[in-house]
Formats: sequence, C-alpha cells, structure tokens
Amino acid sequence: MPTESRLGPRAEVVRGTLEMLALKLLAETPMHGWGLSLKLREISRDVFDVNQGSLYPALQAMLRRGWIKAEWRMSENNRRARYYRITAEGRKQLDAEIMEWNRTSAAVNRVLRYAFSGA
Amino acid sequence: MAWYHEVAASVAALVGRRRQDVDMDEEMRFHLDMETQRHRGEGLSEREARRLARREFGGVERHKDDTRDERGASTFFDALGDVRFALRSLRHRPGLTAAATITLAIGIGATSTVFGVVKHALLTPLPYANPEGVVGVWSAWKGFDRTWLSYDEWEGWKARVKAFADIGLYTDNAATIDGDSPERVRSTLMQANVFSILGVRLDRGRGFTAEEDQPGGPRATVLSYELWQRRFAGDPAILGKRIQISGIERTVVGITPAGFQMPLDYSAGERTDIYFPLATDAKNEGALPGPEFPKGGSNHGYYGVARLAPGATAAAANRQLRDIVAELEKFGYMANVGFHAFVIPMNEQIMGRVRPVLLVVFGAVMLVLLIACANVAGLLLVRGEARRRELAVRVALGAGTKRLARLLVTESALLAGIGGAMGLGLAWITVRLLRSNAPAGLPRLTETSIDWVVLLFALAISVVTALLTGVLPLANATQLALSGELREGGRGSTVGRARLRWRQALVAVEVALAVVLVAGAGLMIRTVRNLLNVDPGFRSDGVLTMRITTPQVFYPDSVRVVAFWDDLQRRVAALPGVKRVAAVRLLPLASEMGDWGLGIEGYTPPPGQGAPGDWQIVTPGYFETMGLTLREGRTFTAGDDMNGPLAMIVNRAFERQYFAGRHALGARVRIGGSDSTKKYHIVGIVDDVRHNALIGTVKPQFYVTLAQFAVAPGNTRRLMSLVVKTDGDPKRLVSAVRAQVRAIDPRLPVSEIRTMRDIVDAAIGGQRFAMETLGVFGLVALLLSAIGIFGIVSQVVASRLHELGIRAALGATPMDLMAMALGSGVRQAMVGLVIGILAALMLTRVLASLLHGVTPTDPLTFAAVVVVTGLVAVIASVAPAGRAARVDPNTVLRVD
Repeated sequence: MPTESRLGPRAEVVRGTLEMLALKLLAETPMHGWGLSLKLREISRDVFDVNQGSLYPALQAMLRRGWIKAEWRMSENNRRARYYRITAEGRKQLDAEIMEWNRTSAAVNRVLRYAFSGA
Repeated sequence: MAWYHEVAASVAALVGRRRQDVDMDEEMRFHLDMETQRHRGEGLSEREARRLARREFGGVERHKDDTRDERGASTFFDALGDVRFALRSLRHRPGLTAAATITLAIGIGATSTVFGVVKHALLTPLPYANPEGVVGVWSAWKGFDRTWLSYDEWEGWKARVKAFADIGLYTDNAATIDGDSPERVRSTLMQANVFSILGVRLDRGRGFTAEEDQPGGPRATVLSYELWQRRFAGDPAILGKRIQISGIERTVVGITPAGFQMPLDYSAGERTDIYFPLATDAKNEGALPGPEFPKGGSNHGYYGVARLAPGATAAAANRQLRDIVAELEKFGYMANVGFHAFVIPMNEQIMGRVRPVLLVVFGAVMLVLLIACANVAGLLLVRGEARRRELAVRVALGAGTKRLARLLVTESALLAGIGGAMGLGLAWITVRLLRSNAPAGLPRLTETSIDWVVLLFALAISVVTALLTGVLPLANATQLALSGELREGGRGSTVGRARLRWRQALVAVEVALAVVLVAGAGLMIRTVRNLLNVDPGFRSDGVLTMRITTPQVFYPDSVRVVAFWDDLQRRVAALPGVKRVAAVRLLPLASEMGDWGLGIEGYTPPPGQGAPGDWQIVTPGYFETMGLTLREGRTFTAGDDMNGPLAMIVNRAFERQYFAGRHALGARVRIGGSDSTKKYHIVGIVDDVRHNALIGTVKPQFYVTLAQFAVAPGNTRRLMSLVVKTDGDPKRLVSAVRAQVRAIDPRLPVSEIRTMRDIVDAAIGGQRFAMETLGVFGLVALLLSAIGIFGIVSQVVASRLHELGIRAALGATPMDLMAMALGSGVRQAMVGLVIGILAALMLTRVLASLLHGVTPTDPLTFAAVVVVTGLVAVIASVAPAGRAARVDPNTVLRVD
C-alpha cells in the first residue's frame, strides 16, 4: 500500500494555498485534474491531506475568476481529459500571491526569531 | 479579479448548466478511472483499487455540489430552490394560501388604486409651463371668503403688483358649434394674455391678439386639440377657416396642445373645447353682467390668473396686495366691508378642496393594508405552529438560522408576490370602474390610470408586505431553531403560549385599526346625513333639468327667444306626468353665481361700494317648479312679460342687507347698465336658496323674468336650463321632453340632462366619496378583524382542548366552557377597542375639514363604534367557542 493510515495527523490544506500551488504547477505546463492532484501529492509529500475531490471546486472557482482556462484534449493514454492552463491574469495572480506569501512568511520568521532570541 | 469574468461565468452557468454538468461528470469519472488504474498497477484487485480511489476522492456528490456552487449565479439557483420549495409547501395548504393571497390582493389592490388616484391628482403637475409660478387671484369681503375680481381690481393689480409678471381675466361658459349636427361644448372667454400667463405653447397657430381682445374686435377663436380631432378630423388646413359658433362666424387662429385644460375645467370635470377673447365676446356670450367690462367696484364676475415675476413668491404677492388694498380703502374703494385681495397657488386652487379627501382615503387604505398584513402574519403564525416539527427536523439536519430565514421569507415573498399580482389585477378593474363612475366634483379623478409609477408602488408595497408578514413567523422560527423543538414532544404547550401571545397582539392591533376606520366612516356618514338635511331652499325630488341655448343665428332677438320658451313650456306642461315646468339661468348647486351692481331706492351704499346682487333669470312658474318658499308678496306670472311693469323678486338675504328695518316690498331697484327710467319694483320675497354651496353664507339675490331682462338692462339671455317637476321618476320623461324641443326646433342642441337630485348629490361629492370609501374600508377592516378573532378563539380552544376536557370531566357546564373560550376572543377585542378609540380620537382630527355638523370626537359616533366592534368580536367568537362547549371529556382525554 502506497499510502499510510488515513488517520494520521496532517494539516487540512487551506483553499488559498491549494489554489496557489495549483497555479504554480499550471504555470509550468497545462495539466488535467488528475495529473494535477498527482503532482500536488508528490510535491507536498503527503504533508497536506489533499482530499482529491476538493481540487475540483477550487479549479472551478479559478475558472470563474478567469485565472485558468479549460479545454478537452487527448491525454497521454488516449482518453479525453480536461486540461487546464494558466491565463495571463492567472500569472499575475500567482505573482501577487507568491509575493504575499513571501511577505507573510518573512514576517512570521521575524516574529519567531524575535520570540526565541528574546526568551 | 475582473468583474467581467464573474458575469460571463454567471451567464455560462445560467445558460450552459446541463453541459457543464456533463463535463464535470466526465472529468471526475476520468479522475477515478485513472486513480483506479494507478492502484491496480500497485497490485490491487479491480474492486479494491476502485474502492480506494473513491475513498481518497471523497464524496463525489458533495464535490459536485461544491463545484456547482463555484460556477457563479449560485444565489440564483439557491433562490430557485427556495421558491420551488415554498411553492410546494404553499400548494400543500391550499385553504391557507388562498386566504392569505386574497387578503393581500385586497390590501395591495385597494392601496394601489388609491395611490393611482392620489398620485395623479396630487403629484402629476398641471399642464402649464412652470405651474408653480401660476396663481389664482381672488377678492374677498365680509361673508365671501373667495370671490371674483372686478375689472377695476384687475387694472389696479396689473399696474401696481410688482410680484406679478402679468395678470389676466377669464371666465367659463358654453357655446354651440352650429352645423348639421350642432354640438354644445364648454367654452372659456379669456383676455389675450391668459395663454401666455399659463405658459401654454399652442399646438399650432397662435393665441389671441390685443386687437382681437377688445369690443368690436375681429371674431377669432381657438379650438382644443380634442375638438379639432373629433369634429374636424384633425384637418391640417384648419387655421384661417371660418366656423359658425353660437350663430356667429369666427376665424380659427389656434389649436391648444392635447390634454390642455383651463383651471376651471378641473372642477367642472369637463375640458374647454373652444376659446374666445373676453372683451369681444363677453356680452354676446351672456357671460358677464352688463355692458362689456363695466367699470365700478360692484361688478365682481371674473376669474383672475397671474404669473409670478421671476423670483417672486405668492407670499410676496399677498403682501403687496394687502398694502395696495389698504391704500385703496383710504380712497373709499370697497370700504368698511373687510375687503381684501389674495392669491392662491394654482395647484392648491384646483386641488386644495380635494386634497384632504384624497389624503384621508389614502390614510384609510394604508390602514386596510396594515390589517391585511396583520391577518396574513397571523395565518402564517398558525401555519408555523403546524410546521414546528418540520422546521425542527430541518434545524436538526443542519439547516442554519439563516437558511431557515431565507426559506420563510421566500414563502411570504411568494405570497406577497401572488397577492400583489392579483392586487394589480384588482386595481386595474377598480380604476376602470372609478373612471366610469368618478364622483362629480372631484377634479382629475377620471385621469387616473395604472402607469409604471403605480406598478413600482405596488411592487414596493408588496415587498414591504412580504417583510411585514414574514418577520413574525421568522422570529418564531429562529426561536424554534434555538429551543430545539424536537425534544419538546407532541403538544408543546409552553412555547405555544408565547406564539399565542403574538397572535393575540396581532388581533388587538387589527381591531384597533378597524376601530379607527369605522370611527372615520361613522363621522362621514353623519356628515353626509347632516348635509342631506341642510335645507337648500328648494325641493330637488322629481325635478328634471337640461340646458338649451337659443343661438342668435336662429333667434335674432329677445322676442323670439321668449316665444320659444313660452312654446316649449306649454308643450312640456301638457306631457303626462309633468306637474310644472319653467326655465332658469343657473341651476342652484350646479354652478356659482356672480353679482351685478344695483341701484336700490332708499339704500345708500358706503362710499366706494356698490349694492351688488346675485342675478337670476327665470320664467314664470320657476318658484313653483323648484318648490321655493314665498315669504311675502307674489311670484311671477304670465303678466310679467315685456310689456308689463318690471317686477323683481328678492331673497331674504337681499331684504336683510338692503332693507334693514324698511319695507322691501314695492321698493324700486335699477339694474346697473340700464337706463334710469327702467326700474324694477320688488313684488315678492322668497326664502334663501343655497345656490353656490350647501354650506356657507347666502348672498343677496334677485330674480327677474327672461322677458323683462330683455327690457332692462336689455340683454338677451340665450343659455337657460329647463326645469321640469314630475310626479314620478324624472328620468322617464327625458325622451318625451327632448322630442318636444325637436318638434319646435330640431337645430337646438340639448345638453347636461340631469335630475336636481344628481346635482345635489354632486354638491356633496367629496364628502360622499370619503364616506363611501371609508365605509367600504371599515367593513373590510371589520371582516378581517372578525376572521382574526375567529382564528384566535379557534386556536385557544384547540390548544386548550385537553384542559377543557378535564374541566368538563370535573363538572364544568357547557356554559362555563363557552364563557372561557369567548373570553379569550373578547379580551383581545377589548384591548384593541381601547387602543383603537384612543387612536381614533387623535386621528379623526384630520377629517375636521370634511365634517359638517359633527365634531371629530362625536360621542354618539364613538359609542356606536364600540357597540359595532364589540358585536363583531362576540359574533366572531361564538362559533369556535361553541366547540369548547361541546367538548366531550371522553374523546379528549383518550387522545393521549
């Protein structure tokens, strides 16, 4: 069995984070939902409990906002699959989110550093 | 995030819903298949691989729902679901749904109708340019608080009042358009400047010139757009055409714009179709006393209209008029009679009398709407009772308070929506009825229509209604969601009690509102009765009237006019069913009468003042036909003709004013404008006739015969009304009388065929309208309250059936049980009654201007209201209370 016990204590991935990660992956190459979920699991090394189904509402939300586009194409094993690719607006959004992320984590790091040095 | 993506997504979601579902299904199936394949590659069996894939994916349907929610327009789909659910649950209880929607339809329909009337009458501007700058100009003195201008006053105000940009005179009358089918139309005589004062731009042509507006000037006329279309088929070459009107050829110089009306047309309820210059045509049209534009203060016979100078206000005009009048008094003009002059904004002049009626009716209909809302809220509360368990289950299944609220609001919104739609249908019908049966004397009522403003209003009150009816059941449901109803079990008598209290409060409110309406209706009923009991000075029953003119073209002189009337009277008198017949210049209560300056022997008017008398022209037999009471002397006879000595009959006010302490009979009177050798002798004194209105002062009035009026002052009166006293229903004689007119002269148009009864009714049209609407609204309010009381007693009985059963088992008699149940309804009614009476005591004051002979707090009316409302409460409680009396302890106690 490739996966361990489903009862392990893992963080539920936050929607915003999921969107950012998906955008990041799609920025490299267009992918279908399943491929995206595989990649996400691989990258996060099962740190996040990505309930695979919850990827689809997130994708739908990004479609609605115009960050990604979807189209049906043939997959590598010759089945029709729905591929998502990032749009220009999606890239802008990704940049913004990465910047925001960096800012937040820098701030958190500063706080932590201060907390530990001050102790 | 750009908004247009959202919009596009919403549209796509609305349009491509099914296709998006297909795509989503395939996409998720692909995901699961691929995962299954992956797990098989790891050595799992097909069945296990698929199971694992599904488990890791999570609930497919939930993800589908979540995905759908992300498509956009989800609020819309949620609402759709709510509506579908609400529809289903409304269908589930057809009785309640019907009761609620019909109640709301009545409330919204009545309110929309009345709003339509009020909006049109009070909010739609008059068809004049900057109508707020147009004012009516009036004179007043002791006893007459609003009367006409004299020529001198017009001259003075025109020269001296700086607040006026211009001031003009006009008056109304009727004219005959001659031809193969002669037509009687309403006419206006105006000075040349009146069109520009009103700010009307003619549809084509021009108004009158100064040259046309002087004695002997060119005969010009302006037609209304409507007349031009109707009679001349919109002939494009109408300007410059000569048409014959009342026997005189006139040139058409202009056409008024469509829909234009003169200020007087509004209260007349009829549009002016033809316009003449005042100075040229005054005498010919018989509209004005004496020679054209008589000078001297005692002839007051013109309506004044002025345009305020830029920046000037009505108040400024009034101040200037006051100063000028003070100055004039020093010169002795109209001295010692409390003379003053004032302006009234035109909108107020036209609508002022009607505004209180309409506002009262509007207030009343709002009360009805409130009662309807209270009733429906009560119904929904009862329904909430029945649905407690259903709602509790929903709460248990995770429906939040917000979700529950949305559901319930959707329901009341749906009810209000259906009720509103039905109400609009109702309003459409009532407006149609109103337009065809508009009470006389209420200007602009017939213009009412359901336009988009009324539609918006109906929509707005539907929304308010939805909120009003939804909020109580909602509060209850929220409370329910918190209280965890499921645990409470079947009967839930304690929480039920709180809801009962709400319903009781609602019923009390309904009764209170109904009391206000019924009190208003009661006061109006007494007012109308009092007005009907006012002695007008004549007997209206069995009298038929019609207007007939004898145009100069067919009847060039007075001899022929008098001969025509003699002939007609003789013929009509011979008809079966006719008791008496005569003719008169102006029918009492049908029009206002101006005065004519007189020289009265032995009476010296104070300096600057004349001795005016309202002038009435009759044929012999008039006093008998109309049932006037002769006090002294004699009435007119056939001998009072052109050759006989000039005979005048005066009213008691005339005698009081000019013959205080002297003998009026036999005194000599000269009518202004006639030569000094032609003096009338007073031969009789009759009781006052309330000519201008049923209430108010009666002015001195004199009567002369048609024949002798042609001798002195020497005018031919061409427009007269025939009055026929019959011994049955006067309407039966209409065709017979018309046939007699035709037999003498088929060219003569007959118009305004009315009974005196109609005329008297029209004179109290405003009060009657208020009485009828308040009466109907009061009845509806009582009915709705009765339903409310019925409901509350039924509910009390139903919820206390158990207790009543035990009481019955313990020996309570049916009477005891019934009294208990009755008490529950009557108590609410009493609370409502007390609140209602207090509210009514304060609110009926707004009726004060409409009331006559009764105070707004009339104890008799209020006592009657208490009795009526109390009776209704008892009657509404009896049936359900009867059920309490019949409680059988066996059945009740075995239910558990």
